[in-house]
Amino acid sequence: MSILQILEFPDPRLRKTASPVTVFDAKLEVLIEDMLETMYEADGIGLAATQVNVHKRLLVIDVSENKDSPQTFINPSFEIIEDELVEYDEGCLSVPGFYETVSRPAIGKVSAQDLTGEAFELDAYGILSTCVQHEIDHLNGKLFVDYISALKRQRIRNKLEKEHKKSA
Amino acid sequence: MNPPNSRAIVANILSELLSGHGSLTTHLAKHKEQDEFSLIQESCYGVCRWFNVLEHILSGLLNKPLKTSEQNLKCLLICGLYQLRELDVAEYAVINETVSAATVLKKPWAKGLVNAVLRNYLRKKDEIEQALVDSAPAVLQAHPQWLQNQLNKQWPDDAGLIMQNNNLRPPMTLRVNQVHKSRKDYLEVLADSSIQAKPGELAESAIYLEKPCPVSDIPGFAEGWVSVQDEASQLIPPLLQLSAGQRVLDACASPGGKTCHILESEHSLTECLAIDLTETKLVRIKENLERLGLKATLLAADASEVSSWWDGKMFDRILLDAPCSATGIIRRHPDIKLLRKPEDVKALQHIQLNLLSALWQCLEPGGLLLYSTCSILRPENEELIGRFLESSDNAKYEGIAADWGVECRFGRQLLPGGNQGPDGFFFSLLRKT
Repeated sequence: MSILQILEFPDPRLRKTASPVTVFDAKLEVLIEDMLETMYEADGIGLAATQVNVHKRLLVIDVSENKDSPQTFINPSFEIIEDELVEYDEGCLSVPGFYETVSRPAIGKVSAQDLTGEAFELDAYGILSTCVQHEIDHLNGKLFVDYISALKRQRIRNKLEKEHKKSA
Repeated sequence: MNPPNSRAIVANILSELLSGHGSLTTHLAKHKEQDEFSLIQESCYGVCRWFNVLEHILSGLLNKPLKTSEQNLKCLLICGLYQLRELDVAEYAVINETVSAATVLKKPWAKGLVNAVLRNYLRKKDEIEQALVDSAPAVLQAHPQWLQNQLNKQWPDDAGLIMQNNNLRPPMTLRVNQVHKSRKDYLEVLADSSIQAKPGELAESAIYLEKPCPVSDIPGFAEGWVSVQDEASQLIPPLLQLSAGQRVLDACASPGGKTCHILESEHSLTECLAIDLTETKLVRIKENLERLGLKATLLAADASEVSSWWDGKMFDRILLDAPCSATGIIRRHPDIKLLRKPEDVKALQHIQLNLLSALWQCLEPGGLLLYSTCSILRPENEELIGRFLESSDNAKYEGIAADWGVECRFGRQLLPGGNQGPDGFFFSLLRKT
């Protein structure tokens, strides 16, 4: 297993649209293991393949308190069940150090495949619902900062670019 | 995505309450799925309970007051102080998590301030706590000034104890559905399940659990053997003097505890009509009725707009458990300390008098109306009844002969009890002549 490098905003590779996973093999299994390890190492609760520069429709999530219930979603989709919205102060491993309030549908049905390719569905609510939507956005080249004003987004971009120059 | 920060969630909830939005119950309902829900809940309740004390300590630790626009930052600092004072969480964990919550609140500039304030508190803890005891005893009562003033004026002998009891954690009280089992038999069921409990001294159906527990752990709860209800509310059905064939109205019924208790007490009522404002409120009543296997007629309406719901048939008994300041149940809802404003009492009086006058016309001559509130403020209670009696020519005040509570001019007042006592509650019984 190995820790993968997480791309950071405004890296243009975060803007790519991921393509569906069609091959369910041992290589995919290794990628999932690595993504989970990377997510746990970074103290995250969700990570999309896009964030580690793999442009496949795949995400890993663990919202449990003890970090012992990893979930893998391959080719995921999210269908809104109710119109109710919830606000959440979202932060992202690809936008370190910044949080913004994002409003998203509270409850939805997630359809996806597991690592053997078998399809499954589950109802997502609470933090899981927010997290799945946040990660699926990554697969479509979208970030949580796209939901805030252009001015605020620019300010975050400037600060992170400065950080990146410092560490380069 | 980054994990949620429970301290930031607490700060946001408290900030909403300080702005007068929502209640602890409504805000916390949105976070039930959080891993750290119990910490969030405990911190929110605790901060509300001790808000005035914590605010006082904070002001001593800041070089200059925070701007009013920094309300959520203030709430975050207060939450940190609460956790350092009261919770069994490692100090470094409280400080680290509270500092990183500043970033989540989009105020990374405040990280240094949060760190300094919390560390400063720890360093000067003994001195600060001693100064509180010596110089600010009124602050330690942890009630807003206006409410302290009212209580001191209205209950000069009892105000200190009232406030002390308001700051206690409430007991969990059960109401035994005596259709299934007597209280004595149910106490044995509890003993068999190793749940420590004792009978209430005022209401014949009440049982106090020594420690609160989830309802799923209570034997026979799903089967309707018992309900969770404070002892004060359980005094209502006997006061109504129910008998077979009566038509009964419960005018502000949600969540239906009293409706169900009325039906448990008298099985042969002609009808029991339960009204509350919205369909959502009726859902709670319906759930309770179903669990207990009882039947009532439910109606979503404003009880004070009689023409919108009344069929013209008189009621033999009316229970008006009126909307009120809820100052008798601060121990259960400590957010009342932050939410309630002195001017609310006047607005509530208006609603109470409207309801009482409107419902009076639906009462059969000779029939009884029981007016109750979970308030301990006299203007909502005996003074309100006094005003109603003055304006009415066919209402007579019936005293309540009982060995509990404080006899008032037009009713009986229970003051908030201790760990194993009832909520603060007012009762007044009126007869139509």
